[in-house]
Amino acid sequence: MTSTNRNTSLITLTIAVILWFMPTFRETLDYPVFFLLFGYTLFFWIAQASSWNTFTGFSGYFSFGQGAFFGAGVYAVAVLAVKRDWPLLLTFLVGGIVAAAIGLIIGVVVFRLRELRGEIFALMTLAVAFVMASIARVSPTIDGGQGAPVNNVPLPDFLGDFPTMIFRLGLIVATLAVIAAQWVQRSRLGWGLFSIRDDEDVAETLGVPTFRYKITALLITAFIAGLSGAIHSLQIGYVTIEDVFSIRVPLFVILMSILGGTKHWMGPVVGAIVVVTLNDRLNRAGFQEISDFITGGLLILMIVAVKEGLYLRMRTRPARTAIGFVAGLAIGLALGALDESLITLLAYGLGIAVLAVMLPLSWFARGRSAEAEAKVASHG
Amino acid sequence: MADLRFARIGKRFGGIRALDGVDGHVDDGEILGLVGPNGSGKSTLINVLSGHYEADEGTITYGDANLTDLPPHRIIETGLARTYQIPRPFSTMTALENVSVPFMFGANPLPPPVARESAMEWLSFTGLEGLANEPIDSLNLHQLKYLELARALAARPKLLFLDEVLSGLNPTEITASIEMVRRIHASGITLVIVEHLVRVVTELASRIMVLDRGTVIADGDPKVVMQDDAVVTAYLGKRSRRAEG
Repeated sequence: MTSTNRNTSLITLTIAVILWFMPTFRETLDYPVFFLLFGYTLFFWIAQASSWNTFTGFSGYFSFGQGAFFGAGVYAVAVLAVKRDWPLLLTFLVGGIVAAAIGLIIGVVVFRLRELRGEIFALMTLAVAFVMASIARVSPTIDGGQGAPVNNVPLPDFLGDFPTMIFRLGLIVATLAVIAAQWVQRSRLGWGLFSIRDDEDVAETLGVPTFRYKITALLITAFIAGLSGAIHSLQIGYVTIEDVFSIRVPLFVILMSILGGTKHWMGPVVGAIVVVTLNDRLNRAGFQEISDFITGGLLILMIVAVKEGLYLRMRTRPARTAIGFVAGLAIGLALGALDESLITLLAYGLGIAVLAVMLPLSWFARGRSAEAEAKVASHG
Repeated sequence: MADLRFARIGKRFGGIRALDGVDGHVDDGEILGLVGPNGSGKSTLINVLSGHYEADEGTITYGDANLTDLPPHRIIETGLARTYQIPRPFSTMTALENVSVPFMFGANPLPPPVARESAMEWLSFTGLEGLANEPIDSLNLHQLKYLELARALAARPKLLFLDEVLSGLNPTEITASIEMVRRIHASGITLVIVEHLVRVVTELASRIMVLDRGTVIADGDPKVVMQDDAVVTAYLGKRSRRAEG
């Protein structure tokens, strides 16, 4: 387990503060509004993936519950802010709390029973999202099957125009999610979760309060996912059960976290940046099908060849990563990618860097493991 | 007195009675040898006493604490720790991280950075300091057994169950390990050792308890107990005893 300390969180906060003022200087820096919306999409997925990873990546309990937590947040705004005229910011908070309450119920029921480890836990969390979707569908106070508009709620003025506001709200939740993940990773809670992931019975006999720790981590995950979902309802505009409770959110957080690596808080961040950037560019270029093909292919390659995930792999091969990134930028420039944005350039850089750390290393890794075997043999 | 006492311990697995009305005690400061043929219930007894399994019947007390219904993570706070017969290290952590985890929990939890420093001491005690930052899959069986021991010691126990820590080791390693067990005992830790190797038990134990098919068949001084008819029968079978006699 690689360590992280308080300085990491200070750096994260500094970056967040700088990003906060990006919209203020949009005129001066002269970049398109689209950048802010792209930034929001990044923040949304960083928040979702990081929060998912804080429970599942660290504890090893595979959860499909992200959709349920996210959905609880979305509908908290759709019901309370739209139909009941509650203040918007308050409904964000309520979204997080409702999601956390659902997490608490799942946790208390499931973690009491020793038998419900592994696959059964994953299926239980999946079932919860289905149950919630059906409740929302039949209950007229929630949705009733008609869908609900969220585009006419009064927005708070002090956060600026819509792109600025959504960018900043997304930034707050992403920062919260990342700092929470960093804190968990370096705290006693994190070490407890890692030992649960490796061997829960041993962890318990060594003094780890496994029940309480799993509940705590699940609460953190659910609260952040709900909060992020509540804010996302503004971006969706018109919420429907089919969209909100689709498999998209749980599937993508899993994909991003595994791609980036689940053992370090930075894994989901890297995974989200790579997937969002590549997806966005391919979609914009009109290659939706190819975009899913590429993300799916990356995931398969990752599971087979780079078990520790992109982030830890990039950290052990910094030169390869940097050269790949610069080469990607060069290729992007040569192809005239500066059509509308730096995002295309970023996509080239990331894409080539990912390939650079993944592909040639398979035989490099083989040489290394042979070395390790020789070492073990000489010991034995 | 913080003696461990247990009475009428029963544990069933399906139709098999692994433990059937086991009574006993572990006195402060002694080395109790727990012996018996394969499947006699030695490991099951340790699993029950350490909280790894819940007993179907019976009571367990340690000093003033009633352990019978305590969850395992609370049992270790009273000062009981154990090793596993087959090493069960945390596989994604380094050797040092494995040993630092128990320091972060239990009766006197340390903050993670401090736990790391304390863990280094027990790694050195077991001779693993050179492997501190190695991943677990680069350790051999002998080293894994020692890591298991270091991790249990990191829980700062007053009473430690050693479940076959020496099995699978070669004679030289066994001699060194016996020395290490003596040093652990000398540091003030009460020991319960489960061991197949009679040599080890008779050399170390101040008292021996013999289990056979889930019941206690003998309990007392090592030399006396190992000559006992019932014990010889349990170990070697009836016929060999008649042939000897």
